[in-house]
Formats: sequence, C-alpha cells, structure tokens
Amino acid sequence: MLFRLALRNISRNRRRSVMTASLVAMGALAMLLFGAFTTYIFAGIETGLVQRGGHLTVYRQGYFLFGPGNPAAYGIDDHLAVMRDIQNDPVLREMINVITPTQALVGIAGNFSGGTSASKTFFGTGLVGADLERMRQWNEHGAGRPYVPDDRLSDPNASRGVIGRGVARMLGLCGDLHVPNCPSPEAKPAAGGAAPPLDPALADLAHDEQGGRPDVGSGPQIQLLSATADGAPNIVSLDVAGVDTQSVKELDDNYVAMPLLLAQQLVYGRGEHKVTGIVLQLHHTRDVPVARARLLAMIAERHLPLEVRDFRELNPFFVQVVGLFSLIFVFLSLIMVMIVLFAVVNTMTMNVLERTAEIGTVRAMGVRRASIRRLFLTEGAILGALGASLGVALAFIAIAVINHSGMQWTPPGNTDAIPFQLAWPTRPALLLGSWLGLVLAATLATLPPANRAAKSRIVDALRHV
Amino acid sequence: MSEQATTPVVRLDHISRVYHAGSIAVPAVRDISLEIRPRVFCVIVGPSGSGKTTLLNMIGCIDVPDSGGVEVQGEDVLRLSDNALADFRARNIGYVFQSFNLIPVLSAFENVEYPLLLLNVPAAERRRRTLAMLEAVGLETQARQRPNELSGGQKQRVAIARALVKEPALVLADEPTANLDSATGTAITNLMRRMQETFHTSFIFSTHDPRLMAEADQTFSIRDGILV
Repeated sequence: MLFRLALRNISRNRRRSVMTASLVAMGALAMLLFGAFTTYIFAGIETGLVQRGGHLTVYRQGYFLFGPGNPAAYGIDDHLAVMRDIQNDPVLREMINVITPTQALVGIAGNFSGGTSASKTFFGTGLVGADLERMRQWNEHGAGRPYVPDDRLSDPNASRGVIGRGVARMLGLCGDLHVPNCPSPEAKPAAGGAAPPLDPALADLAHDEQGGRPDVGSGPQIQLLSATADGAPNIVSLDVAGVDTQSVKELDDNYVAMPLLLAQQLVYGRGEHKVTGIVLQLHHTRDVPVARARLLAMIAERHLPLEVRDFRELNPFFVQVVGLFSLIFVFLSLIMVMIVLFAVVNTMTMNVLERTAEIGTVRAMGVRRASIRRLFLTEGAILGALGASLGVALAFIAIAVINHSGMQWTPPGNTDAIPFQLAWPTRPALLLGSWLGLVLAATLATLPPANRAAKSRIVDALRHV
Repeated sequence: MSEQATTPVVRLDHISRVYHAGSIAVPAVRDISLEIRPRVFCVIVGPSGSGKTTLLNMIGCIDVPDSGGVEVQGEDVLRLSDNALADFRARNIGYVFQSFNLIPVLSAFENVEYPLLLLNVPAAERRRRTLAMLEAVGLETQARQRPNELSGGQKQRVAIARALVKEPALVLADEPTANLDSATGTAITNLMRRMQETFHTSFIFSTHDPRLMAEADQTFSIRDGILV
C-alpha cells in the first residue's frame, strides 16, 4: 500500500514529477557519459602502455631507481634461464600472453652521411620485433587502435630500426624518410665547405662496424655510439626503417628502437649478452597483482637479485591521468547531486504543503509520524529511481549514437587521431554507483520536508486550506 | 446492564484549552467536565467559535487539553505516547470530516479499506469488510471511483464507511452535513443514525444542523468554551 500510495502521489502532479525526474535523469546521464568517457580514456591509455611495455617488467635489483642512467651495469644474468622459469611456472604460464626481453641503452646518435654532421643523445631500446608485434595485438578492452602489422623491427636484417620523429628531424633524416610535417634544418656549410671530420678513432670504429656486416640496405643510416658494460666506447650502424612518433616530445626527440641483438652488441660487445628487462604482457590486466606476487615469490625463493615493476609504476603519467579524471568525475557528481538535492527538496516541499490537510486526516485516522515520513521518503526514492533509470537508458542510447557517429579525436598519450568512442558504462561501481547515488540523494533530499510533514500537529494540519 | 454498557465511552474531567494568537491568549474550552454514554447519538451544539471543534478534537485524541483529564473507552489517553495514541485512534476512533477529507489518489474502495490496513487486517478479511461497508452505505457500484468522480453526498458516504469499517467504539463527526445540500444532508443524517443503530457505535457530532439535533440521544450545548 505504501508503494502504491507513493506512486499515485507522484502521479498527482505529473508535470512537476516529470520535471524533477528529468533533472535526476540529466544527472545520471552526465555522470554516466563522463564515466564512460573516462573509462574509455583509461582503457585507451592502458592499452597503449601495455601494447608497448607489457604489464610487468622484471629488472635487476636497483634498476628502477638507478638503472636508466647506466643500463649496461644493470643487466640480468642468465636472463634466458629466468625467462624459462617464468614460462614454466604453472600459475604464470596461464596468465602470460607474451614474455620478451628488452635492453635499454643510452648514447649518441649521429648522421654523418651526405655531408651532414648532426648528432644527439638518444634513449634506445633493443627488443624482439616478433614479440613486439604480438604485444601490439593486445586489446583486452577493445580500446586500442586497429592493429596494423609493422615489420620494421621484425626484419631478418638485424640492423634495422626506427627512430622518433624528433630524432629524425634533428639528424636531418626527414627528407630521406619522407616524414610529413617534419622540417629539415637549413643547410649551413661549415668553414671549408665540408662537414667536420669524425674523430679518427670513432671513424675507424664506424668503418669497422660497417665493414663487418653484409648489405645494409638502401635507406638512411645512423651511427649509434655508446659505452659498453666495461666502459669502452662502442659504435654500431642502424638502418633507419622509419619513424615512430612518440607522444611526449622529450621522448620523441630521443627515441631509437632497434633489434635486441644490435642493442646487445652495442652495450655488451663481445661479452655476455644480457638484457635490462624481461617484459611480461598478461592476457588480462586484472591478473597483475597475482602475477606480480607470484614473480616476487619466485624471485625470493631462488634468491635472485631482481625486482618487479608494473606498468603503473613505470608510467606515473597514467596514474596521474586516472587521478585527474577521477577527481573531475567526483566534482561533476557532486554538482549533479546538488542539483538533484535542490530539485527534489523543492518538489517534495511543494507536495507536503499541498497535502497538509491530507496528512492531518491520516494522522487522525491513526497513522504514525514515522509512516508519514516513510511515505514521503518512498516518494522521493521512487522519483530518484525513475529519473536515474531514465538517465541510464538515455546514457546507453547516447553512447550508441556517439560510437556510431564516426567522430575522431587524439587522446592523451596518442599521436594520431582515432575514432572517438565511449566505453559502455557497465562497470558496477559506475553504473550502480551513479544510480544508487542519485536515488540516495533524492531520498535524502526528501528528508527535511518529510520530517516537517511528520512533525506537523494534527489539528493544525486539518485546518490547513 | 453490563459494566461495559454503563461505562462512559468518553469522560472529560475539568478540561481547559487555551490558544495563543501572538501575545493574546484565547480560551477555547474552559473547565468542561462531561460523560458520554456508550452507543448513543450524541450532539455538541453551539454557535461558531464556541469551542465545539476544540472539544471534539480533544475527545478524538488529536489535541490535548492544557489541564484536566480525558478518558476514552476507559483509557487515560493523556498518558499515552504519540505512537500509542496513534494506535489507539486507529483501533477505537473513526472520523467524519466536514470536507470529507478523502484521499484523492485512492478509490472509494481503497479509502474505506485504508483504516483496516493500519490494523493489519488480512487481505481477504479487508476486502470482505470493505465491500460490506460500501454496500451498507449504498456505494457498492462506485467502489472503483475516485473522490473527484463522486458527488458531495457520495463522498460523505465513503467517509462514513471509512469511519465505521474498523468497527470503532467512537465515531466523531465535525459538522458532517455542513457542506451538503438539504436533501443530501437529511440522507446522510438518516444513514448515520441507521449505521449507529446497526453497529452500536457511539456517534459524537458537532453541528448547527437541527436535523442532527433532533436525532440526538444526548446533547451538550457549549457557548464561549463553557457547557451551558
């Protein structure tokens, strides 16, 4: 009876109830659309990061804090055995999609061909091209760019790699690589009309390195200079197969990716070829805590000098984006809840005022104060539930329309425009949280007028016209 | 006669009630004592502003005197808590209002059924008693209609059915015929008399209506808050 009475009371002033429910619906719509947007952003960034760097990386102890400054000193001993152990672990085996070694390195890249003499520092990565291609196909959330095969690092030619657009620009390779929107430096002939000669020792190294390999291809070539693990200078030539633009300019200006073997040759020379990281890409991101715990247990059990980092630790930018958008979502939700609160308070206050004599009548008949309060709270909750449900339905319709509209945008962390999509807000925390939050807000907003109704004196209420 | 038959259904003991309009105190009821016999058609008469409604409100346990005692059905109602008083009203007192005061979103049937819901009467029993009461007031064919679809007389019949359906000890009616035309007023008066005789309930009215006065078994006249 309570519910039936509440429902009928709501339909008593339809226009007012529809307006109030519509406001609640708008609140739900705004919260869910923004929630869907942030979910998509998070999924998109996560997908990009996991495609490139996996979920977990095993490093030599201390690498995370100190290794990037001297990667050669933080090589993992007998990394093949470690990888084998990981692959053979019954728990991890089920979770792992790709496991691949990587070698980080720093050095100086130079282009001494064609009369130019540009050089700059670089942050390099040596990786297994075939593994990278498998990692690029990971798309658990459906938020990744459509997979386009890229064999620039998978070629049998072990000296072929890619560089950042910034590196290409500064080394004067934009023309040779046909990179759009990438200006070439103005030619400044050096005194004497020719490029300054390379240091004779390095020139010999470069010549030896060049001469030791077969056909190096027809594309542009750069020389990479680095120090080996023993501290000796070493140099290799890299055939630049193309440009891989990075989203952060600082990274783009320093990025060089090359086959693992080439990186190892540069860093370790003829010594043991180690790696600085073992990257694990899992099938599902939700497995990260379990996989990490398992890896740590394995490391502890074998007394290995290794550490494990997940993609969030390695990309604090991702955590910051999640934090920022989450904060915006909280602010938006608060604004929506405030609007709903005021709308429902107004509506229910009017309802109480109009039904004062009726309240007196039922109180005279023996209805308790608490029942009066309960009736109005039920009406508020129903209004909230109707509005929030309508908002959920509208949100799903809006998302379907947006996802089929063909809009494009460039999200943070990306360099190219991609289809603008919104994730379906099926995450319980988002969907149920928004719905319940608004229903709760509507119910709470009813409390003051409901209390006023419950506390009114019967004789005063009966006299009310 | 049994003790129950002779115990007054209402006993007021030197009750007074003063209303305050700002700094001005307006005495509505002054030191009234009375007893109302059970199963009577009792009328409280008096001019407007004489204190009839205030007296009726205190008998009906919806207002409390500033001093004095109120017993209804032998219960000292002034000692009851708010919830206990609400339950007492739900069990023992039916109301018929001048403006009918039906719940507009409920049908005639539902309005009559409502007091039984408060008493947690089982659904089948509720339905049987509601239909019987609607039939008793001649509205069985209007059971599904809402108050706005009923005439004034029909609304008051529904109100009477609603007051009587729980078979209370006492039905209070504040000028029940005041908003009705003469013929309808007479019909309602006759109906209430008939219902009082059928259900052996005590009816207490406040009224100016001479037809109701003529039907009274017990009459109290009040003027300026004092019984005369």
